[in-house]
Amino acid sequence: MKTNNYLALLFILSISTIGYAQRDNATGAAQPNTFRQLTVEPGIGIHTNFGTDLLITNLVQWNSHKRWSFGAHSSYSINNIMLQDFNYVHTDYNYSLNQKFGAGMMFNRKKGSHTFMLMAGIKYTAYKETLNHPDLDKASISISAFSPDYGILYSAKRGWKKYFFTYRMYLPLYPWPIKGSNILYTEGNMNNLALEFGIGMKVK
Amino acid sequence: MKKQQTWMLGLGVIVLLSLLFLQSCQVEEFDPALTKSFSLQSNTNGANYQIKVGLPEDYFSSSEKYATLYVLDGEENFEFVSNHSKEISTNNQTQNVVVVSIGYGQDRSMDYTPTKVSSMTGGGAEFLEFIKNQLIPTMERDFNVDTTRNGRIIMGHSYGGLFGACVLAVDNNLFGNYLLLSPSIWFDNEVVLQLEKLNRANNKDRSQLVFLGIGEMENLGRMQAPFEAFYLTLRNHYTNIKLSKNRERNLDHMGSRNPNIISALNYYFSNR
Repeated sequence: MKTNNYLALLFILSISTIGYAQRDNATGAAQPNTFRQLTVEPGIGIHTNFGTDLLITNLVQWNSHKRWSFGAHSSYSINNIMLQDFNYVHTDYNYSLNQKFGAGMMFNRKKGSHTFMLMAGIKYTAYKETLNHPDLDKASISISAFSPDYGILYSAKRGWKKYFFTYRMYLPLYPWPIKGSNILYTEGNMNNLALEFGIGMKVK
Repeated sequence: MKKQQTWMLGLGVIVLLSLLFLQSCQVEEFDPALTKSFSLQSNTNGANYQIKVGLPEDYFSSSEKYATLYVLDGEENFEFVSNHSKEISTNNQTQNVVVVSIGYGQDRSMDYTPTKVSSMTGGGAEFLEFIKNQLIPTMERDFNVDTTRNGRIIMGHSYGGLFGACVLAVDNNLFGNYLLLSPSIWFDNEVVLQLEKLNRANNKDRSQLVFLGIGEMENLGRMQAPFEAFYLTLRNHYTNIKLSKNRERNLDHMGSRNPNIISALNYYFSNR
């Protein structure tokens, strides 16, 4: 568990460090409305599984051209944060780390921009549950798993100055979300659809 | 020109995703010539259950008795289970089973749960009576099937898996084989584990085959530890059991269902 905590801490620090490092290079004045730009966009969010996961995320986006964008998206998710004890089942820990890279297209609008990117990377999930029922034998299980993570990221930016509001939605396509004609089959991945909000900053 | 290229690229991505979506939505149909349907009204709860029966390919040309696989949530699972039973039994060069799918007579949460914790739960005992006193006798009267306990299999997912686990605990005479996928053992403070403990002395020396399946990503704080407790109970206390546990990698509750059905059928056909 200690190792897991250190990993999570390292991950959060790395996100923050990127943000501050870039900030040092930035000027305080409003940036002109150019297409070539580097942005850092920390945010918080939830998954669509009834909002029980808390996400701490960051998107670093580089627009190299009028249309083309490249991005790196990191997230740390504390899963099922609202339900740590249920029917004698205690959740000892439950979190995920994601790191994805991708490319896509940006569409500029008067008051901001819309970006669609195909992202791919890796996801690490770890959790531990313990059943501690007074009339039953105690049972505990810990699971840690790496998995691929790819999907479509939509990012909306509002504002053209140095700081701007940002909203993101990530639709995971692994595991492929549609398992059959029954709409219930989509549950698997629709749970992991992420909605994120934050404040972005132009650093170049 | 560049704008046109952009739109063409976007359109291409949408078409590709649509094709993948349509491919995923294809419903596989089981051979209609080998499918029989009838409805049965329960004497205990009054509900009308639509029953579909999937017969083995050689059913009409063979005089052998077939094992029967009773599938809960039948309306969702019949085609998938029937097709894969045929495929896996063929691959294993072993006799196929008669698949009996039980459709919904009333809400599944009513039929598949053992105790009343809300107005929509607690009808499990009545549903079991229906299976025991009406459905199984009908199947064994009208079809050429094995009438022994070892020749009966029950398969259920989620609340269906809970129901199967309850049958194992409270009426172990009925089925000799249990394929339980993501069973909701957590239900009502793990009442099924308490029922199992209560009846353990009567059941622990019986021969049985049990497959337990779950998704690795069922991490909502209720599924994994009770599942593990059930597995450990069976492993540590049951002397004459063929037991297997499977965690489907990177899949959650619904996503793991079909892969676990395949694993369960593979286990059954290889170990019965």
